[in-house]
Amino acid sequence: MKRLDFVDVLSADRSSARESDLNNFEYSYKAEITSVYRLTDTEKLYQIRIVDKVQRHHFAFRPGQFVMLELPGIGEGPFSISSSPSRHGDLELCVRAVGNLTNFLSRVARGTVVGISGPFGTSFPVEEMENSDVLLIAGGLGIVPLRAPLFCVLENRSRYNQVDIIYGARNPSEMLFTYQYQMWRQFDINLEIIVDQADATWQGPVGLITEVLKKRIKTAGNDLSSNTYAIVCGPPVMFHFVCDMLINARLPMQKIFVSLERRMHCGRGKCCRCNIGATYTCLSGPVFDYWSVLNMKEAI
Amino acid sequence: MLFKVFPENALEILYDVLAPYPLVGPQAKGKDREDKDIFVFDYINSFAELRLDFPTTIHSVKKFLLPSRENLCTFNLFDGDWEKYVDFNIYKPHVFFGLHPCDINALNKLDKVLTGPVYPDPFYSSKRKNMFIIGVNCNPQSWCFCKSMGADTVYSGFDMFLTDLGDKYFVEILSATAYDILTQLPIADPSEADHRRFIELMDERNRNFVCQVDSSDLTKILDLEFQSPVWQEWGDRCMSCGSCASVCPTCYCYGVKEYVDLDLTTATKQRQLYSCNLIDFAMVAGGHNFRPDSPSRLKYRYYHKHRGFQEAYEEALCVGCGRCGQACLADITVPDVIDSVRRQKVPK
Amino acid sequence: MQKIRTYLGIEIKYPKTAFFELSSCEGCQLQILNKEATLLNFLDLVEIVNFREVMSNRSNDYEIAFVEGSVTRADEVTQLLEIRQQAKTLVALGSCACFGGVNQLKNRFQNLEWVKKEVYGNHPIETQEVRPLSDFVTVDFSIYGCPVKKEEVEEIVTNLVLGKSIEHPRYPVCMECTANGNICLFNLGEPCLGPVTRAGCDAWCPNNRMGCWGCRGPADDANLRQLQKIMDDHNIPRQAMFDRLECFGGFTSAMKEMDR
Repeated sequence: MKRLDFVDVLSADRSSARESDLNNFEYSYKAEITSVYRLTDTEKLYQIRIVDKVQRHHFAFRPGQFVMLELPGIGEGPFSISSSPSRHGDLELCVRAVGNLTNFLSRVARGTVVGISGPFGTSFPVEEMENSDVLLIAGGLGIVPLRAPLFCVLENRSRYNQVDIIYGARNPSEMLFTYQYQMWRQFDINLEIIVDQADATWQGPVGLITEVLKKRIKTAGNDLSSNTYAIVCGPPVMFHFVCDMLINARLPMQKIFVSLERRMHCGRGKCCRCNIGATYTCLSGPVFDYWSVLNMKEAI
Repeated sequence: MLFKVFPENALEILYDVLAPYPLVGPQAKGKDREDKDIFVFDYINSFAELRLDFPTTIHSVKKFLLPSRENLCTFNLFDGDWEKYVDFNIYKPHVFFGLHPCDINALNKLDKVLTGPVYPDPFYSSKRKNMFIIGVNCNPQSWCFCKSMGADTVYSGFDMFLTDLGDKYFVEILSATAYDILTQLPIADPSEADHRRFIELMDERNRNFVCQVDSSDLTKILDLEFQSPVWQEWGDRCMSCGSCASVCPTCYCYGVKEYVDLDLTTATKQRQLYSCNLIDFAMVAGGHNFRPDSPSRLKYRYYHKHRGFQEAYEEALCVGCGRCGQACLADITVPDVIDSVRRQKVPK
Repeated sequence: MQKIRTYLGIEIKYPKTAFFELSSCEGCQLQILNKEATLLNFLDLVEIVNFREVMSNRSNDYEIAFVEGSVTRADEVTQLLEIRQQAKTLVALGSCACFGGVNQLKNRFQNLEWVKKEVYGNHPIETQEVRPLSDFVTVDFSIYGCPVKKEEVEEIVTNLVLGKSIEHPRYPVCMECTANGNICLFNLGEPCLGPVTRAGCDAWCPNNRMGCWGCRGPADDANLRQLQKIMDDHNIPRQAMFDRLECFGGFTSAMKEMDR
């Protein structure tokens, strides 16, 4: 009698790349938390090192991509990589303790082994930006995904023209990566910080991020149409104002890049939780150019 | 494609040949308020249970490929370290006996996302590859709009497909396995009269489709009418209960949650099929919800199915089986919703 | 002595845990003891110092208090306030504690004296309007259900011990019911509160072809206006729906917006 054969999917498509794809769906690298720095009351910077030396070396990502970090039994979530791509599988993730996974993560000690899968998603085209002015505009936690492209710029500083970081924080105590500002400035990066609410120590400007941007645009003669790229990242409300200003200053929309945040449960274009329309933020994003954003309903 | 016929009473032989395998088919599971049979797909234990004359089932066969809850992996934790074990949760080929064209088309649509080139899902793929599918032609019901969705006929995704000619079955054969199995039945080549009868039956079936959806230019219309007040009206009715997604043969959205066992040494990662109509579908850690109200969620559901998927795969993520409308206690049906977006008027 | 246990390197303590009951059938506590297969593991998860149904020892040194039942007497208010004083975490266990439960049906009667007379005849006891715990003290979190579902209690207590966040499904029972492949009870002609009741019970009653009575209270954003229409469309008398909505007290405030 003819029997129905059991098909083992992993061996079924041995000829193609499918085998490893299928096998890798639930695969995660084991990675060790090598150090934890407290940046503010709620944010910590985790240095996470892929344990296997070969895997660590082969781990290649592009600035703007994210990984899924898993704590077994606790949960899994997407985190933007905020370290330099040149450091491969020695990752830095900046995490705000805000939900189940991140609150638990904030309790674990150095030496804890976590699961890392990825890298996933699109990235900022840092090579295309060479020989241009670069505007990095961040609000709040938005500075985190900007840190990887910033490292790319710092490591190849001579290839870029004027580089500005315009960073808006709610108050001085919520500013991230303060210990690196000095270093950024040494690399001839024009760092402008503005806060919503000052405290006793604050000497800098108080107000909205758009005020700083307005000044920067003015010095460019209200015309950014030639030779400028912008990367914008921050809370949804900020995107509108900032991107509108850039458009009004004639910056072409395909030279404005944003990184969007959505809920993700898989990171692999399956679960639909991150969908904007039917666009998967995890596959077609998180980095989009502004033209794509305008073509997605309710993206920002 | 190869065509054969076999006598009506040989169907039981076909069943017997396949019975050693887990066999899923339509069976009656209760009576509705009008005393009509209610059908579901479930494991069949005897030929008498198999009811190929079923009008439709309240649920699709989705649960056998995408169970409402499925373990993606388990963890063993010890001394600060852990190991992960992955199991695709399929150990035997399954026979699906009696799928209508819409349901087979639904599987073909799911394949595009779940077995596609980008991160193919092994949990789905392994079950999908272990399916032996016998399709069967249907009698259109008053709510079926599969014809409008181009899902009333099926060309691939099955092993054999049966049409009841009265005294015999007309069978389309798509796989070698199916051919081999059919050789154990008294099969014959269809006669000229069988051809005629088959074509007549198809014509008759075509005439019986009464429910229609005008999906022409729908992607554009949905974009144009994004702010339309009809969404508010439909949203006010919606219970945000997810029943439509549960019964939908093409909905595949899910959530992942991890559980630690009571002894704190083992843990499980589980996915649960979700629905974009559920209130926390687009809620991120910290509480921000990208679609906090039911109109925006309901609208998103239509956008995904009839605009986004269309854009990505040049077809809608809907086969027109109408199960969602049948399951919806608030009477929200796809034809009514799409019609209302076109006409800007919601039926009462 | 309990050995030190850890999870992902974090030491997990054995919190001292106590169970208390106010006016209730104690069925929720019994439910916790019901599943022998996991009972020992469950009892090992915490250090139980007070649990009238299983042990005679009593201690008032505890961190977590599970309180079953609703408040119907003045002495229960005192007891509850004392528990709150001691407990770091106070858990409302079951529908009575969360919403008043079946007990609160007596609040329907405007004349409590008449109720007392009917029930207790010539042996009256002191009793007042039935109220949930949250009317008197801060409740850290609730475990819904009449009775509570053992699997859910196990998950919640595990999460509590580990320090994971405790989240209830926000969606209605329909989601779980349809996921289980059930036939909709409205199709069978039976009223059901599944469309508005918070899930988490895995559609326990509808799985057994019993319409939902809403013991877990309303789901987030429950659409009661539409429920009313559904009941009308299925020719189910309004009173049958209100009887169900009122049964466990979870819908009391949500019902204020409905037409009688």
